[in-house]
Amino acid sequence: MTVTPSKAGSNAPAPQDLVTLTIDGIETSVPKGTLVIRAAEQIGVQIPRFCDHPLLAPVGACRQCLVEVAMPGPDGELRTMMGPPGRVKPQASCTLPVAEGMQVKTQLTSPIADKAQQGVMEQLLINHPLDCPVCDKGGECPLQNQAMTNGRGESRFQEVKRTFPKPINISAQVLLDRERCVLCARCTRFSEQVAGDPFIALVERGALQQVGIYEKEPYRSNFSGNVIQICPVGALTSADYRFRARPFDLVSTPSVAEHDSGGAAIRVDHRRGKVVRRLAWNDPEVNEEWITDKDRFAFHYANRPDRLTHPQVRDGETGELRPASWPEAFAVAARGLRAAGRVGVLTGGRLTREDAYGYAKFARVALGTNDIDFRSRPASAEEEQFLASRVAGRGLGVTYTDLERANAVVLLGLEPEEEAGTLFLRLRKAYRAGGTRIFAVAPFTSNGLRKLGATVVKAAPGEEVPAIEQLAHDGELALDGGGVILVGERLATVPGALSAVAVLASQTGARLAWVPRRAGDRGALDAGCLGSVLPGGRPLADAGARVDVGAVWGSTVPTVPGRDTDGILAAAAAGELGGLVVAGVDLDDLADPTAARAAVASAGFVVSLELRASAVTEHADVVFPVAPVAEKPGSFVSWEGRVRPFEKVLEGSNAVPDVRVLAGIADELGTPLGFQTIEAAAAELDEFASWDGERAADPTVAASPAAPAPAGSHRLATWKTMIGDGPMQDGDPAYHASGPTPTVLVSAATLESLGAAVGDQVELSTDTGTAVLAVGVADLADDVVWAPTSSGGVNLGRDLGAGAGSAVRLSLVPAAAPAVQEAM
Amino acid sequence: MITDETKAELREIAARYPQPRSGLLPMLHLVQSAEGRVTAEGIEACAEILGITAAEVSGVATFYTMYKRRPMGDYHVGVCTNTLCAVMGGDVIFERLKEHLGVGNDETTEDGKITLEHVECNAACDYAPVVMVNWEFMDNQTPESATRLVDDLRAGSEVRSTRGPRICTWREAERVLAGFDDGLADEGPAAGPATLVGLEIARENGWKAPEGGQQ
Ligand code: SF4
Ligand code: FES
Ligand code: FES
Repeated sequence: MTVTPSKAGSNAPAPQDLVTLTIDGIETSVPKGTLVIRAAEQIGVQIPRFCDHPLLAPVGACRQCLVEVAMPGPDGELRTMMGPPGRVKPQASCTLPVAEGMQVKTQLTSPIADKAQQGVMEQLLINHPLDCPVCDKGGECPLQNQAMTNGRGESRFQEVKRTFPKPINISAQVLLDRERCVLCARCTRFSEQVAGDPFIALVERGALQQVGIYEKEPYRSNFSGNVIQICPVGALTSADYRFRARPFDLVSTPSVAEHDSGGAAIRVDHRRGKVVRRLAWNDPEVNEEWITDKDRFAFHYANRPDRLTHPQVRDGETGELRPASWPEAFAVAARGLRAAGRVGVLTGGRLTREDAYGYAKFARVALGTNDIDFRSRPASAEEEQFLASRVAGRGLGVTYTDLERANAVVLLGLEPEEEAGTLFLRLRKAYRAGGTRIFAVAPFTSNGLRKLGATVVKAAPGEEVPAIEQLAHDGELALDGGGVILVGERLATVPGALSAVAVLASQTGARLAWVPRRAGDRGALDAGCLGSVLPGGRPLADAGARVDVGAVWGSTVPTVPGRDTDGILAAAAAGELGGLVVAGVDLDDLADPTAARAAVASAGFVVSLELRASAVTEHADVVFPVAPVAEKPGSFVSWEGRVRPFEKVLEGSNAVPDVRVLAGIADELGTPLGFQTIEAAAAELDEFASWDGERAADPTVAASPAAPAPAGSHRLATWKTMIGDGPMQDGDPAYHASGPTPTVLVSAATLESLGAAVGDQVELSTDTGTAVLAVGVADLADDVVWAPTSSGGVNLGRDLGAGAGSAVRLSLVPAAAPAVQEAM
Repeated sequence: MITDETKAELREIAARYPQPRSGLLPMLHLVQSAEGRVTAEGIEACAEILGITAAEVSGVATFYTMYKRRPMGDYHVGVCTNTLCAVMGGDVIFERLKEHLGVGNDETTEDGKITLEHVECNAACDYAPVVMVNWEFMDNQTPESATRLVDDLRAGSEVRSTRGPRICTWREAERVLAGFDDGLADEGPAAGPATLVGLEIARENGWKAPEGGQQ
């Protein structure tokens, strides 16, 4: 049941906008426009409902919320709203706005309302199966609950119930048991209004009316799982959770999603030491009541068979990893690192803020180096400077709510639907409310941008800078009048782009936010996992900042500027660095996965802190198992700069967090970290809360014009789709099957010159390798193609050595057999 | 097959409305005119032209009973079996036609000529019992006149509505419903003596509608 909490603070309306009415004899004043059902909630009266949802437009579909209403007439006398002569006509309280002097009687005080509600309930139950004992919703079902509170004990229905073959797949993940549906249209309204993916609709009529898809088009949406959660009956279930558990056997713990920088509040349900499902939790400031399918379904990674359970060290004789005790592993790691001399630290995007802080301090205090970089992806020195000057340690900046208030939002190097789903939903809400215009500099009008009503300023990969510079003079965009600039991490690879963004923000006064893809990135930056940035955004170059940090740490801070990810790997390969400490880095995410693999393989001494066996653990000399997010407390920092703390979900787990491992190694090295727990790390990090000294200057890198694609090739535009490949998405086949078919998008002219039709297979190739994908069409420039960075088993970096801006070739794969034309 | 010409006409319909989506109903009629029913291809064409999903189009196409998913005969014969027509003989007519044509409700004769359906009130109760052929009125029917009617239709003889207009084929009629004029709109009167009986009586007695309208 969804009950809206009353909004406080700045949203409180001016007194003159209040309307006073009586509900069940209690006088109450609520803002004009409030629906009766909401006004009743606010005085603690719950009117039963199915279709009503505070985040969806009212529809009045189910009629469960009927109440008796009287209105004052012109003479001031109350007149009950009537139906046929002599009969009261109960009103749907979910579509009726309050009016001055209105008198509402709910089921609590009106026998008429009560009888009407019971009648509606009886009708709804006529064709509803009595399968609550085997229904996943049983125990948490609004229909079950309200049938008890507002229905008749006995059914008068003697006839045969209408049945349907059950269940049907509306997508690989979402199943529909049609006979359970009460036709409330919550699911269809969510997909149309909130997500913008109306691939489900109410079809047929009368007793056969049902939710349906178009037979050839499954319900494909990055947000499809939300319909399961808001369905007020058990009609929608997930392939993943169906028949897995009973709600009353589950322990629910609030947590925060670890898949993007959205900071979405989730609820994690577990049973006997295992997470069995995740739901959206309600946080009106952040994700409201929605989460992405990745946040909902991608949690099985923690229980894969290759999960590491004990420390391992490489045996000197066999050259193989063998199990080791914790003390031995700490000692071997410390010995190896000491012998290695100079060591670099690579941390991936899964780290919590506290763990990241552990690495930031470990690098400086225990290893004496600034060679640390959290950016396990293509990055640049320009970006590092941008992050230091504009983002690190700045605290809460632009918020979700600010987006709804902004006049214009411009998206640069960011595809919110795929890279920051929670942000996408809020942008869509802002767009639909009509106040916020959305602009994007992008290679083509993606579906996601279309759903945001975005004005697209087209720019081929590598050619974003002039487009960004132009934005300052775009009269339609008018960034000066309360605009917001959202920058994605992909812009790092375009020389001059982030410099231009800084100029744009300064010129227009628009507010700026950096939206990384990964949940841990902003926290890692704030914690100091970057060569030139110390905790709390303190610049390494600033002597005062170093003193500040040194005082907390009780040691001196190394002054030699650090290398970035690629620099650290190159130095390790060249022997300039004797060792590496690697935490949760998927080498396939890096700019050059092949070179990265070679560097890790050839590095002198490698310590790996990992959840599961990986390309790094394969070559590591010491491997430490660490806890996934469900098995430790911690926090992420959302793109807004909002700290999102969460508790340990699986209390029984004794997996250890990264900080505990780092503390163990640091102790052996004789340079104690000063904390061993998440709580202690958080407390120390809090000492760095604010930095009011100088910051690094904005980067001023000149744009370098992108090289045109050599004849016969195209320039590659690429980003990751939300549902794709990656170790943290492993383990749910239905989740992957519900994702998009990996598709190369080309211009209509390119499609024609290939002699291909949409859906044909094409080969994408470089001198390094080839990959076969389906082809689709988009409004791209003729010399640009787009492909997903890593999905369907194809990783462009690893397989083709290609990234954004690379030249790639395309050719049609001849069809193996003639396609059979499908008849209806 | 939805030809390029039909596509162009579908676009023309969409362009008639400030919100192109408002054109969906007439567009589906045009699809029926071109295809003899609402086909998958037709649904996809409408979705593409209107920029909505095929699921949204099929939601509409499966809701309204005037959209047919099975191939239709050349003539749609709808027998009104709502209360007034039913008691005046509609039920008997429907039974007789089923027997005569050898088909049930919503079925088409083997020669592909006639699709029989019982329909709801057509606001022609003044001439009950009423049979509709491609939505043209055949007033004051009897089981005999109705069987004669379907025999004539099957034989291909010219049939006229009791109110005048020549009966065209269902697909031609669908084109009119899509908003493409066939020039026959003014054939036949809108109201007949039976329609106006109440008015005559009111005039004779000097009856007037009460002041102030409905309460
Ligand atoms: S499937 Fe559930 S959410 Fe959708 S209409 Fe039916 S009852 Fe409502
Ligand atoms: S809750 Fe009011 S009509 Fe459904
Ligand atoms: S009842 Fe048959 S036309 Fe009205």
